[in-house]
Amino acid sequence: MILAALVNGLALGAGYALLAVGWTVLLGAARLVNFAHGQLYMLGAFVTWFAISRFGLPYGVAVPVALVVVAVLGVVLQLLMTRMTLDQNIVNLMLVTLAFGYLLQGGAALLFGGDPQTIDSPLQQQDLALGAARFTGQDVLIVVLALAFYALTFVVLGRTDLGRMVRGVAEDPKLAQLYGIDAARVYLAVFVFSAVCAALAGAVVGPRSPILTSMGFEEVIVTFLVVVLAGVGNLVGGLVVAIGLGLFTAFFGTFFPPAYSTAAAFVVLLVVLVVRPQGLAARR
Amino acid sequence: MTADVATRGTTGAPAARRVPTWARALLWVVLVALAYLLPSLLGGSDRIYTTVVLVAIFAIMSYGVDVVLSYLGEVSLGHTLFWAAGAYTTAILAVRSGWTPIPALLASIVVTVLLALLLGLATLRTREFVFSLVTYAAAIIGLTVVQNTQALGGSDGVVGVPLLELPAFGGTYVARTNAELWPIALVCLVLVVLLVARFRRSRLGTTALMAQMNGELSTAMGVDVRRTRMLVFVLSAPITALAGWLYAYQRSYVSPDLLSPTFLLFMLTAVILPGRRLLLGPLVGALLLTSQQQLASLGGDADKIVLGGVLAVVLLASPTGLVGIWHGLVRRVRGSRR
Repeated sequence: MILAALVNGLALGAGYALLAVGWTVLLGAARLVNFAHGQLYMLGAFVTWFAISRFGLPYGVAVPVALVVVAVLGVVLQLLMTRMTLDQNIVNLMLVTLAFGYLLQGGAALLFGGDPQTIDSPLQQQDLALGAARFTGQDVLIVVLALAFYALTFVVLGRTDLGRMVRGVAEDPKLAQLYGIDAARVYLAVFVFSAVCAALAGAVVGPRSPILTSMGFEEVIVTFLVVVLAGVGNLVGGLVVAIGLGLFTAFFGTFFPPAYSTAAAFVVLLVVLVVRPQGLAARR
Repeated sequence: MTADVATRGTTGAPAARRVPTWARALLWVVLVALAYLLPSLLGGSDRIYTTVVLVAIFAIMSYGVDVVLSYLGEVSLGHTLFWAAGAYTTAILAVRSGWTPIPALLASIVVTVLLALLLGLATLRTREFVFSLVTYAAAIIGLTVVQNTQALGGSDGVVGVPLLELPAFGGTYVARTNAELWPIALVCLVLVVLLVARFRRSRLGTTALMAQMNGELSTAMGVDVRRTRMLVFVLSAPITALAGWLYAYQRSYVSPDLLSPTFLLFMLTAVILPGRRLLLGPLVGALLLTSQQQLASLGGDADKIVLGGVLAVVLLASPTGLVGIWHGLVRRVRGSRR
């Protein structure tokens, strides 16, 4: 039972990590708090489902289609918010992303209907076992993708010119612009990256359980928990906290009613905020 | 008609300052009397009374957020928690323990103040957006917890809230219909508007505004920004709880939907649509939104698009709200005359 919870927790945590990686970069670089993140996750899952059930595309093709659709949506949303982001008007940015999320949820309910749906992924049928613990090929895919995305983000941010530009804008947008960096384009790139990560998380975690257009709120809370617990903009901390949160949820769910697991994690967050307001992994 | 009343109250504010106090008080009394007669002037149907009662309740609910958003400049996304706490405390005490309305209201206020203290203390030393994240998380998690806790009625909620009975001269006043609830709702609304008006002129209100405009300067002038934030947040919670108390009696049941993002979006839009920092702003916002939902509804999902769309468009096109658009028009007209 402990091994089963461990494997399940690892898959859950990898899903959380994939969900949170874009947000970590977004908050670190653009100081943009995106409340529509959960709805982008929901859209990633639903566009994948739609492409499979309506157009008969195989899962492997439907996922990239969903990513492109959400990326285009991300471009539109960020272009609308460009001036607000450049002004760093955090209050209005939070409010407008909240409105976007609500708008996307209403739109998706009209478009996709209110019934629960399942994403048909061939990997979900592939049963694997490790001792007493059972898992699927889909779980393996989630873990592999999460690790790959963290590695990619870490290398791009730390080692490339693009990463230097993002870090420069994060440090001081005005100074970065003096050096000829187009801050608006950096914000756009970071926002689209974050949207695509959320959509990918939705497309690969979605097949594990039935999906609803009303989902996304729990997911955005999980993202907050990861980002705030890890300390804002802390990439490695984010991965560790996400996996830890997945394990916490899985173990909590084995011994207590699973519905309360996010609430229990939230109580942990409140305690951490009182003791270490800068986050668990932050220096200082 | 109420829209007329409200806009006169807001845009007429500079002009009213030259009017003596007694005349201003008289004006307000006339406005309240007109508001009281408004539903019967509009025909007095049950639908009209339902709408005006809901406008009053939702306006009070929005005033709680208004105090934090307009004057403190912080985004509380947890006020649905206070709204639901007010309604649930009332419903549970009234249904299961037979409490009368006034003690139930006092208990609701105590519960929400404790909740606000808890959230406020936890976010005391954090950066600005963490406050919003934590309050949002509290509301969403509150929804899951209430849905899954049988002691709070689970996903069915608590049904059978008795009628609102208040002690009155020579017996009790029983609100059996929305028409009979209207005077109580209006009195609550007037009291809340008076409280917010008093807050705007108070030391706490001006300090909050100063902390919003320039936090470092106000710290340098000896203002404890954290303490100000805490006090304003704790003050705002019972305002929203009062609306929850009224709503429990109006609807005669409470359910987890009180914690849904619908009410959150409603509160924020009601404050932002007319323009922030207007005394009657949340009332005008609640009037516009409730009228759409009650009298011109397009169905649940389409109404979501309307609500989210209105908030997004206002923020992107005119962050200062309808008042900002109005000022822009006035400036353009004056400019073209020259």
